[in-house]
Amino acid sequence: MRLKSRFGPFGYIGIFVLLTIYFMPASVLAADVGNCLLCHKYPGLSRVDENGEMRLLFVNEDIFSKSVHGKVKCEGCHVDITKIPHEPAKPVDCLVLCHIIEPTSEQKFTHKSVATSLDDSVHSKKDKDGKEKPFSEDMPTCKDCHDNPMFRPLAFVKKVRPGVAEDALGRCRVCHTQEEFINRFYNHITTRLHKSRSPLNIAESCARCHDDPKLVARHNLSTSAGGSYGQTFHGKAANLLDESVPDCLDCHVPKGKSVHQMYENKDPRATTYKENRGQICNSVDCHPGASTDFANYKVHAEFNMKQNPVIYWFTTFFIILTGGTLLPLMAILFLDLLRRLFPNASFRRRKEK
Amino acid sequence: MKCFLTKLYILAFMGLVIFFSTLIWKLTFAHLIHEYHARKGDVSIQHTGEAEKKDQGKQTFDTMILESEDRVKHYLGYRVLEEQRIEGHFHHIGFDIGPDNRSYCRPCHGDMPHDKVKDIRAFLNMHAFFIACQTCHVKLGEDEKTNVYKWYDRKTGDIVASPVNGAPPGTYNAKIIPFIRENGQLVRIDSEDKIQFATDYKTNEKVLSEGQKSKAKKLIHKIISKTPVTCESCHTKNNPTLPLAELGYPQTRVDSITSTEVVGMIKNYTEFHMPKMLSPGEKPATPQLQPELLPIQH
Repeated sequence: MRLKSRFGPFGYIGIFVLLTIYFMPASVLAADVGNCLLCHKYPGLSRVDENGEMRLLFVNEDIFSKSVHGKVKCEGCHVDITKIPHEPAKPVDCLVLCHIIEPTSEQKFTHKSVATSLDDSVHSKKDKDGKEKPFSEDMPTCKDCHDNPMFRPLAFVKKVRPGVAEDALGRCRVCHTQEEFINRFYNHITTRLHKSRSPLNIAESCARCHDDPKLVARHNLSTSAGGSYGQTFHGKAANLLDESVPDCLDCHVPKGKSVHQMYENKDPRATTYKENRGQICNSVDCHPGASTDFANYKVHAEFNMKQNPVIYWFTTFFIILTGGTLLPLMAILFLDLLRRLFPNASFRRRKEK
Repeated sequence: MKCFLTKLYILAFMGLVIFFSTLIWKLTFAHLIHEYHARKGDVSIQHTGEAEKKDQGKQTFDTMILESEDRVKHYLGYRVLEEQRIEGHFHHIGFDIGPDNRSYCRPCHGDMPHDKVKDIRAFLNMHAFFIACQTCHVKLGEDEKTNVYKWYDRKTGDIVASPVNGAPPGTYNAKIIPFIRENGQLVRIDSEDKIQFATDYKTNEKVLSEGQKSKAKKLIHKIISKTPVTCESCHTKNNPTLPLAELGYPQTRVDSITSTEVVGMIKNYTEFHMPKMLSPGEKPATPQLQPELLPIQH
């Protein structure tokens, strides 16, 4: 009661203002200085190119404005477009110098450091000696893993609208006046405070390559990583949208490093390097005190007789035990109910008295 | 009464037992049987290494069409964004519009039918998203012309109220179709007879002779005009072909469609960038070079 009266009518006015801004047409907030959306707001703007591939040229303005790139002008990425009408645009180079200024260095922003990390990782197109890896065309480029990242503001402090803590915004407003800045800053910070994608989305993203049987075979990988993850407790919980379970990145990226810094098992820097594995599971957030042996279990074991015969027969035994116990139990229950339904039914002829 | 309720209770219980039995079967023995058959099939990972080179450029129907129907859900915490996943597409689509089930042109020409004129194909496809083929590709004679256009639902094909007001531009689940006068009556141009004829042709196409195919195609395309309706016919303040206000466009949208911004851009495209815009498919008699690009005469 006291809490309510503390805000008075101003609380409702504040909420009204926030909702007005939230539902304000995205065009008011978007960075479409070049008026590109005059054409690109139409979902049908599309063609089939010379290679028979569909090119959808539509940009959903509402979603774009809520993405991490919402403030970047179109020509910030599509740098070859300098006039309207324009020629078919060239593929975007994600490493281009962006017009946004990085506040700590006051330099123009760029994703170049990501490329450096990626070139040094297991997903690099080149090996340690600088030679092209076999099937290097399989190695991921930016868009294989990333579409336009969306803000994921923290959702556990739901108050007025889901995902955004109105109380926190109120504190921002004490010093800051621009609503657009407050919203964007809040979204940016809270998105970075937790996983930028749900564990299920991460697993799906990795599985696009790591569950492709041909790719797995080409690169001599021992398992379908996504499929085998899905069979674990972690994978099943992720499938139920649990946000707290570890996804691929939690185990394969060294703590405190960029997700692009993943190394092959033989590399001492890798989290999955034999001597480092113990540290994956025993982090304070997961299984504190867990031994190295605990982490050395077959995480990506598949239900496969050839690859994992012990696990296969062990699992098969328990499946048969479960089915063999419960199904007869169900049959007995059914027969008992049948008797209760027809108490006097019998296959024998009744003796006439 | 009590006896009846008891029987009913027992029956419900039996249903529950059957349900759980099926569930347990699926989770146990059916799972084992499925795994056995999968193992017998050719789905296991085989390490063929270098021997099996990646078959680049091989585009099957499966990889080009069916896989492009992949769907994805983004769990953002405060909402779930579900959309079609197009490989390599960076921007989010965010909504779905199903195929045009009414159009009898689509089975052959597809949802993105324009690809002849490279410069404007995307623009034409954009319009084809909410305008039926016949609206631009059929020029009606004076006796057929009614100047009546209506919206039809893409899914059901039924005539519906205007979906324009309030919807973001071009995101309608409906298309504009012209109406003609036939025997004094107002009917839609894509009549059931025409649809049936085109469907029969498509069904029997494989068994028809070349002569029969040619005849059928000519009959289907009989109403098609050689030169389509031009962009400037609608994007003009001076009596546009489509009665935008009657089609439910609010005045602000009408003003926008016929604004100097849009008309000016079309003019710009036509004069400088796309000299073929008003005659798609035809090559210009002489290439138009900008003065500064003309060869210097010595």
